[in-house]
Amino acid sequence: MKTQFTRTVAVVTVELTLCLFLAACGADISARRGTGHSASITFGPEQRLGQNDKNPSTPFLRFAPDGRLYAVWTEDDDGPSLKPKQPAAHQHKSRIKMAPSPMRVALLASSANGGKTWSSPKRVNDRVEAIEGEEGGPRLAFGPDNKVYVVWSIPNQRGDKTRANIRFAMEDGKGGFIPARTLNEIKDTARFPIVELAPDHTVLVAWIDRRIDNPTPRDLYLMRISPNGQQLTRSYKVGEGLCECCRLGIAFADGGKTIYMVDRQVSKEQIRNHVLRKSTDGGATFGAPAEFSDDGWQVPSCPHSGPSIGQDSRGYLHMTWFTLGRSPDKAGVYYTVSKNGGQTFAPRQLIHANTAAEILHTTQAVTKDGTVYFAWDNLDEANRAQIFFRILAPDGKTWSPVQQISRARGNANRPALALSDKELHVAWTETEGEESWVVLKSAALGQ
Amino acid sequence: MGRVKERSAWPMKTPRLQRTAFRRMSFSGLALFCCVADLIFQPVIAWSQNTPQSRRDSAPAVGAAAFSFDLKSLDGKPVGLQTFHGKPLVMNFFASWCDPCREEIPLINDLASKASKDGYSVLGIAVEDGRAAVTQYVTEANLVFPIALDLNSSVKRIYRIFGPPATFFIDAQGVIRDIVLGPMTPERARDGLKKAGVFR
Repeated sequence: MKTQFTRTVAVVTVELTLCLFLAACGADISARRGTGHSASITFGPEQRLGQNDKNPSTPFLRFAPDGRLYAVWTEDDDGPSLKPKQPAAHQHKSRIKMAPSPMRVALLASSANGGKTWSSPKRVNDRVEAIEGEEGGPRLAFGPDNKVYVVWSIPNQRGDKTRANIRFAMEDGKGGFIPARTLNEIKDTARFPIVELAPDHTVLVAWIDRRIDNPTPRDLYLMRISPNGQQLTRSYKVGEGLCECCRLGIAFADGGKTIYMVDRQVSKEQIRNHVLRKSTDGGATFGAPAEFSDDGWQVPSCPHSGPSIGQDSRGYLHMTWFTLGRSPDKAGVYYTVSKNGGQTFAPRQLIHANTAAEILHTTQAVTKDGTVYFAWDNLDEANRAQIFFRILAPDGKTWSPVQQISRARGNANRPALALSDKELHVAWTETEGEESWVVLKSAALGQ
Repeated sequence: MGRVKERSAWPMKTPRLQRTAFRRMSFSGLALFCCVADLIFQPVIAWSQNTPQSRRDSAPAVGAAAFSFDLKSLDGKPVGLQTFHGKPLVMNFFASWCDPCREEIPLINDLASKASKDGYSVLGIAVEDGRAAVTQYVTEANLVFPIALDLNSSVKRIYRIFGPPATFFIDAQGVIRDIVLGPMTPERARDGLKKAGVFR
């Protein structure tokens, strides 16, 4: 009896040990990399941006020079085309059931207290448009006087998002926006705009252009606009061979004389590697694109997920991107750094492996000292997209563990980050069925 | 105490030969039970493995059964793989924002216009897209085949669509016979239809 008991105890012990060992082996490898761990961050509670019944989505965050946090996002238009004919008491329910309109409004709001409270949303687009969301959603930049510049893209008149137009609007100084105008001179050829204020205070807008449709890979076009909205240059081509469906990234150095841009290239063999382009003449011309990682991702379809770039006070260029790589087991969110202005790049580091078949969307924010904050989407155990977060210390080796910061019932996608000396904010879109909403989470830094 | 006694007393009452025979019987019974259980539960296990949550590690492959799913069409009707059972199916994943999808869509539409005559079906599955954009796209491109909305990306994930377009040619028995990742060509379409049992 005693022997049997001892045997049972031994068997259970061995099984438990085996279970613990297997569980340890199954843990995320990336979280255990590096010699030390940077501390995780404690985020505050979730907040919502926008009106729940108008399907807010596609947030973009940025700090203004005066320290206020701004957010731009899109919502369903509540114009006459959407209003149901039922009595008011039934409006909410019937609104969800009726065929929605693709028409959206872009809204802007600011927070002077670290995202705790927000100003009333201000409409950016003067007329209702089918504003493209997700990868091609609205972006904003600030003048030195906090003037807001916003760009977005809209499909052509037939509703074709792949033959789109870049729209630009700026604050009028009276609490509203000057009516938006189209920037691309050749109609129905431009998508995925970004906007940045150059150190000389001119506004730089870049986009992916298809005015020459053959060969298929797209071109990179820039346009420079004065602080008061006057067009300083026509749009001009600075690069080619771009993947047709991905967001761009940009960073300035040397007082604007040097401009770095990142994008995804596509070869004739449909290999999509990410590249850095460098201009040393203030964006007039760019050198040959330099691959910062030979991922060898060969895909003939539309992996709409662009790279991000940021620079610290040491001049280091930090880049993050998603790739499927040469096989699904190499898929994930990656990071690299260039310490010599894009001449060479450190071997890529895996931030988070892809947990299932999914295109992931990643973004980053870099502090002056070189701390890099990453946010991306990936699937959880229940196959729902969630937002994940990680920090890389300035030594370039010490990673915080991977933190899941969303608890979406449906899917949480496309995070946006904003960083100041004291605060970090992450916003994303959550969707469940046909409904969407924007979530914001904030954390205090330096604690 | 009584239960222990009862259990310990039971073998004592069994003669040695009987016990051996019983052991043999119990082993063969166990084996038989396992076989029967296997037969009964295998489809249940296979079905459960076919659910979205448990398909993370299995990729759709030529020669394998297509994964079942339940979606809603643009007009809110239920659409699943079983809707098309008994006929070859061309299942096209697309998005209204996707450039290569727009390039291939006239060809998919052409396949759909001939589907009834040639005895197969075409289903479009819109991924990472909203009802409004898809509705507009269907009107704009004059699509003549049923469209299902994969609003929660569940079907996209089980079929491992790393970016649309992607097309699966499924035979009348629900087995995947060809997969085209990226834009369709007339040659690939003809080939896929043949493999799925059309034009026999």
